[in-house]
Amino acid sequence: MSESLYVQLLYLACGALLLTAVLVLWLRELVVIIRMFALQGAALAALVGVLAAHENSGELWAVAVGVLVLRAGVLPYLLRRTLAGAGEARRETSPLVNVASSLLAAAALTLLAYAVSQPLVALAPSAATQAIPVGVTVVLIGFFVLVTRRRALSQLVGFLLMDNGITAVGFLTTIGVGLVVELGVSLDVLLAVLVLQILTTRMRETFGDTDLDELRELRD
Amino acid sequence: MSALGVVGGVVQPVLIVAGSPLLVGLMRQVRARLEGRAGAGVAQPWRDLRKLMRKEQITPRGTSEVFRLAPLVLVATTLVVAVVAPFVTTDSALDPAADLFAVVALLALGAVALALAGLDTGTAFGGMGASREMTILALVEPTLLVAIFALSVRVGSTNLGAIVSSTLDDPARVISPVSLLAAVALILVIIAETGRLPVDNPSTHLELTMVHEAMVLEYAGPDLALVELASAMRLSVFLGLLANLFLPWGIAATATPVALLVGILALVVKVGVLGVLLAAGEVFVAKLRLFRVPELLAGSFLLALLAVAASFFLV
Amino acid sequence: MTVLVPVGMPVLGALTYLVFGWRRATAWISALSTTVVLATAIVLAAAVTRSGPVTALSGLLRADALSAFMLLVIGAVGLISTAATPAYLREEIAAGRATARTATWHSLLVQLFLATMALAVLAANLGVVWIAVEATTIVTAFLVGQRRTRASVEAAWKYVVICSAGIALALLGTIVLNFAAAHAPGAAGLDLAALATHAPELDPGVTRIAIVLLVLGFGTKAGLAPLHAWLPDAHSQAPAPVSALMSGVLLSVAFYAILRVKVISDGALGTGFARTLLAIMALASLLLAASLLIAQRDYKRMLAYSSIEHLGLVAFGAAIGSPLALAAALLHVLGHGLAKAVLFLGAGRVLQVTGTSQINGVRGLMARRPALAATFGLGVLALAGLPPFSLFASELGIVRAGFTAGLGWPTTAALLLVLVIAAALITSTSRMLLGPPPSTPDTTIASPIPIALAGGLLVCAALGVAAGLLPILLDLATDSLVVTR
Repeated sequence: MSESLYVQLLYLACGALLLTAVLVLWLRELVVIIRMFALQGAALAALVGVLAAHENSGELWAVAVGVLVLRAGVLPYLLRRTLAGAGEARRETSPLVNVASSLLAAAALTLLAYAVSQPLVALAPSAATQAIPVGVTVVLIGFFVLVTRRRALSQLVGFLLMDNGITAVGFLTTIGVGLVVELGVSLDVLLAVLVLQILTTRMRETFGDTDLDELRELRD
Repeated sequence: MSALGVVGGVVQPVLIVAGSPLLVGLMRQVRARLEGRAGAGVAQPWRDLRKLMRKEQITPRGTSEVFRLAPLVLVATTLVVAVVAPFVTTDSALDPAADLFAVVALLALGAVALALAGLDTGTAFGGMGASREMTILALVEPTLLVAIFALSVRVGSTNLGAIVSSTLDDPARVISPVSLLAAVALILVIIAETGRLPVDNPSTHLELTMVHEAMVLEYAGPDLALVELASAMRLSVFLGLLANLFLPWGIAATATPVALLVGILALVVKVGVLGVLLAAGEVFVAKLRLFRVPELLAGSFLLALLAVAASFFLV
Repeated sequence: MTVLVPVGMPVLGALTYLVFGWRRATAWISALSTTVVLATAIVLAAAVTRSGPVTALSGLLRADALSAFMLLVIGAVGLISTAATPAYLREEIAAGRATARTATWHSLLVQLFLATMALAVLAANLGVVWIAVEATTIVTAFLVGQRRTRASVEAAWKYVVICSAGIALALLGTIVLNFAAAHAPGAAGLDLAALATHAPELDPGVTRIAIVLLVLGFGTKAGLAPLHAWLPDAHSQAPAPVSALMSGVLLSVAFYAILRVKVISDGALGTGFARTLLAIMALASLLLAASLLIAQRDYKRMLAYSSIEHLGLVAFGAAIGSPLALAAALLHVLGHGLAKAVLFLGAGRVLQVTGTSQINGVRGLMARRPALAATFGLGVLALAGLPPFSLFASELGIVRAGFTAGLGWPTTAALLLVLVIAAALITSTSRMLLGPPPSTPDTTIASPIPIALAGGLLVCAALGVAAGLLPILLDLATDSLVVTR
C-alpha cells in the first residue's frame, strides 16, 4: 500500500469514528444510536485493518477481525436485545442537557482533546499519531454521554464509546500493548457489558423501568 | 483580470438567472412524480414569473422604502455572487470578491434585507417569519464560514477559486475526513438556508410552520417575482458552491469554447442531480419542529468545527 | 511456584463451589482457601525478605516485598471475612433473605474476587494489574446486587458504571504510558519493575498525562474523591462479608496500583507532581468524609465514609512520600483492613439482630448484645485511631512524617479533619451502643458472634503494640517505593 493511500484511508477511518461519535450524541432514538455504535465498531475495525495492511502484520489482521466481531457484531447485538425487552415508550434517550447544548459542549471537548494530546503527537510525529486527538475526542464525548444521559442503555453506549476511543488511541500509538493485555481488555469490556445488561434487566424487574432518574433511593 | 474570469463573469450570471427557475421547476416536478401527481412541468416557475411581472406594482399601506428595496437587494447580492464565485470557470471576474468571507457576507446581506422587509410590513406573520429566519441565520452563517474555512486551511487561501482549483489538482483530497465532515455540515446549512425540508417547507402557507414564506407573504406582482427569482437563484448558487467545492470536475480552467461548454454542462448536470436528490429526499422527511432546528444547526456547526480541527491535526 | 498459590487456590475454591454447591460440608472451604492464601503470603514474605523478588509464569507474576505485604493484607482480611461467612449465610437463609443457590453464588464469587485481587498485587505488568482490577469490579457487581432489592440493584448499577468509567481512564493512562515507554531508550514496555528503573528516560509531557489518568482511574476504585460516589452505596448495600472485603482490601489493592504508578511518576517527573496530585485528592476525600459523617444516619454508610477517610489518609501518607510516611501508610492499610472488616461484619450482625440500618433504630445494644456491642465499640475506637490499635501508630507516623517533610499546613488540615471524623464516629456509635434497650423484642439469633471478629481486633491491637513483626518487610516494601534521585 502506498504511503499516501495509507494516510488517506487511515484518516478516513478516523473521520468515520468521529462522525459516529457525534451522531450518537446528536440522535435521540436508541435503535439508531445502537446502529451508529455498530458503525463505529466497523470504523474502528477498518482503522486496525489499515494499520495491519500498512505494517503487513498477520497478528494485527486477526485483531482487526476480532474488533469487528466484538464491536460491530456482539456488543450491538447485546444492546439491541436489551432494547427489545424495553417498552415502546422507552426508545428515546432523554438527555439531561439538551441536544443543542451537548453538541456545542462536544465542540469544546474537541478543542480540549486537541490541546491535551499535543505532547502525545509531539513525542513521535507520524501519520498515525497525528490522529490521536480523534481518539481522545471520542473518549471525551463518550464520557459526556455517560454523564448526561438518563436511560441505562444510553449510559451503556457512552461507556462503550469511551472504550472505542481508548482502543483507537491504543492502536494509533502504533505499538500494540501486547496480545495478552489486548485480549484481557476485550474480555473485560465484554464482561462489563454483560454485567450491565443483566443489571438493566434486573432494574427493569424491580423498577419497571430503566430510567435512571428513578435511582434516588441511596443518597445523603 | 483574466480572459477566463471575464467570460465566467458573463456566462455564470446568465446561466444562473435563466436556469434557477428551471431548477425549481425540476425539483417540483420530481416531487410531484414521486408523490404520484402529474406535475406542472419544468418550465412552470418561468410561466409564474412572467405572469407576476405583468401585474401592477402594489405595496401594503404603511410600508417604507425598506420593503420596496429588499427584493432588489436580494437579487443584486445573489447576482454578484453568481458573477464572482467559481461556478463555470475557476477564475473570477472580480477576484478579491470571490473570497469566502465576501461571498458569505453577500449572501447573508440578502437574507437580512428580506428579514427587515418582513418586519417592515408590521404584520404578525412578517415579524414571526423574520424572527425565525434570524434564529436560523445566526447558526447558519458561522457554520457556513467555518465549514468552508476548513477547506481553505490546507490551501492556505480563502479565495474560493483557489480552493476549487487546488481540489482539481489533488483529487484524493475529496475523500478525506475534512472534506466529508465539511460536506455534511454544508449540506445541512444549505438545506436550512434555502428553506427546504426538514427546516422549512417551501410549499406551505401554514402559520405554524412557515419561515421564508411568512416573510414574503405581503409581496405581490413584480416584487414577488423578484423575491421568487432571487430565492431560486440562491438555491442554485448554494448547490453550485456545494458541487464545485467538493466535486469540481468539469469546471473550465482555460478560456477555450470547448472547456467553457464542458463547464456549463458540468454545472447544469451537477446542480440538477443535487436538486433532484434534494427533492427526492424531501418526499421522505417530515418537517422538523421549530425548536428542534437549533439542534440540527448546532450539530452541523459541530461538524464544521470538527472539520476545521481535523484540517489542523490530520495534515 | 508459591507465587501461583494465592491466585490458584481461590480459583480451586470457586470450582469446588461450582461443582458441589454451598452446603454444610463445603461451607468452610472458602475459609480454608483464605487460610492457604495467608500462609502462602507469610511464606512469600519470608522468601522475599531473604532473597529478593520471586517471579513465576515467565515473568508475568512477580512478588516483591510490597506484593507480599499486600498479599498479607488480602489473606488476613479475607480470613476474617470468610470465617464469618458461614454464620452470616446461615442467618440469611434462616431469615428467608437468601437461598442455598444464592449462598453458592456468593461463595463462588467471593473466591473469584480474592483470586483477582491476588492477581492484581502479584502481576508484574501494569496491563495485567489493570485487567485484574477491572475484573474485581465485574465479579463484585453481582455480590453488591445480591439481595436484588431496589436499593441494592441501584447500588450495583452505580458501582459498575462509575468504576468501569473510572478504570477506563486508567486504561487510557496505561496505553499512554506504554506509548511513552516505547519511545524511551530503555524500551521497558509495561513491566512495572522495568518502568520504575527506566522512569527518568520517559518523556515528561506524555508521562504527565498518563500519571494523571492512572491516578484518577485507580483512585476511582480506591474510593478517593472526586470519583468516590459509588462507594457509600456499594458498601452499604453489599452483604456484610463482601463489604468487609471491599472496604478492607479492595480499596487498598486499587491504592496499591497508585503506589506503583507513583514510583514511575517520581522517577520521571520528580516527587512534586504525584505529591500535589495525591495530596489534593487525599484532602478532598478527608473533607468529604468529614462533612458527610457529621450528620450520618445510617451506620453502614457511616463505615463506608470512614473508608473514604482512611484511604484519604493513606493517600496523604503516599503524598508525603518519605520512608516513614510510606511505612506508616502501609501499616495503616493493614490496620484499617482488619478493623474495618471486623466492623462491617459486626454491622451485618447488628442489621440481622435489629432489622434496621438506621443509627436511630439501634438503641441500647450494650444491654441487649454485650459481646456484639463490645466488638463493635472497640472496632470504632480502633477506627478512630486510639491506642493500642495499630491505626494509632500509623496515623502518628503519617503526621510526624508530614511535619518533617515540610507539609505543615496540609498535615494540620488532615489532622483536624481526622479528629472531627473520630468525634463524629464515636458520638454516633455511642448512641447505638448505650442507653436503655427498646421494649420490642429482638429477632432471635442463636449463633454466637464469630470468633474471627475478636481475632481481627486482637491482631490489630497486637500490631499496634508491637509492630515489630513487620519492620523488615515494611522497610523493603518502602524501599521499592522510594526513588533515590
